[in-house]
Amino acid sequence: MNVGDALKPFRIAAVSPAGMKDWAKFLHDPNPIHLDPAVVKAKGLGDRVINQGPANLAYLINMLQGAIPNGSIESLEVRYVDNVFGGEAVEAGGTVKDVSVDGSKRRISCDVWLRAPARGAVLTGTAILATLL
Amino acid sequence: MSNQTTPIPDLPAPPQVAGISLDGANPYVISAEENRALCESTGVAPAEDGTAHPIYFYIATQVGMGMTVAGLCAACDFDVEEGPMMASSKVTFSRPLVTGQPYRITGRIVSLVRKPSRKLGVMDMLEYLLELSLPDGTPVLSTTNVWVLPRRNLA
Repeated sequence: MNVGDALKPFRIAAVSPAGMKDWAKFLHDPNPIHLDPAVVKAKGLGDRVINQGPANLAYLINMLQGAIPNGSIESLEVRYVDNVFGGEAVEAGGTVKDVSVDGSKRRISCDVWLRAPARGAVLTGTAILATLL
Repeated sequence: MSNQTTPIPDLPAPPQVAGISLDGANPYVISAEENRALCESTGVAPAEDGTAHPIYFYIATQVGMGMTVAGLCAACDFDVEEGPMMASSKVTFSRPLVTGQPYRITGRIVSLVRKPSRKLGVMDMLEYLLELSLPDGTPVLSTTNVWVLPRRNLA
């Protein structure tokens, strides 16, 4: 893996509203904007349920684990830039920006993102993964 | 994040919440069954070696901390029904998360900073730190979340 390499993308063809119900349980968070399109509409936020931010982040983590299968995540920092709506396609990806060796480890620093192809970035950030030499 | 802005003289100061404890009362355990369901909901298979999906950094600390989301908002004199928004998350792992392991959660509110917003008029930036450790105190991870609390009533 070299500086400038693109990370293998991870795609979700359509974010599932049923999955949002599962995430409401995982997060112990029954916020209706994730469950009821009528509430989303009433709040002026759109007309489809809104995916939980941590679920979006999980897609990005899936990308990292798929792109660097033997890597362990040492750190991850993201900004939540926009919402992802029910039924929407998203794609996570990234670029290697630095590779260094530290003792028995190779450390890979990356710029990472999650995009809704129809609208643009919904998450942006950086990650550092380590692999054993 | 807490030192990026200057207080706004003609707005009321935000509640003084820095330092409020977010220590959890009970250990948090990632169940293998829930981890499987979570992985499948995101389009991947769970790991076969017992490691949990890393997104549990967020879930375990958020669910296991000493306040509910509504309670955390209330501590900031903010009604959760007004719609807090996630701004950023940062995590540093010392070791991977595994299923079936009890974890202890400790934490505190770092800051609540009031600032103008082109979109919202006025907003408070809430920053809080949560740490997850083994029962013997061995560090597992440290995470900092920042939320935006819109203060439309102050705009």
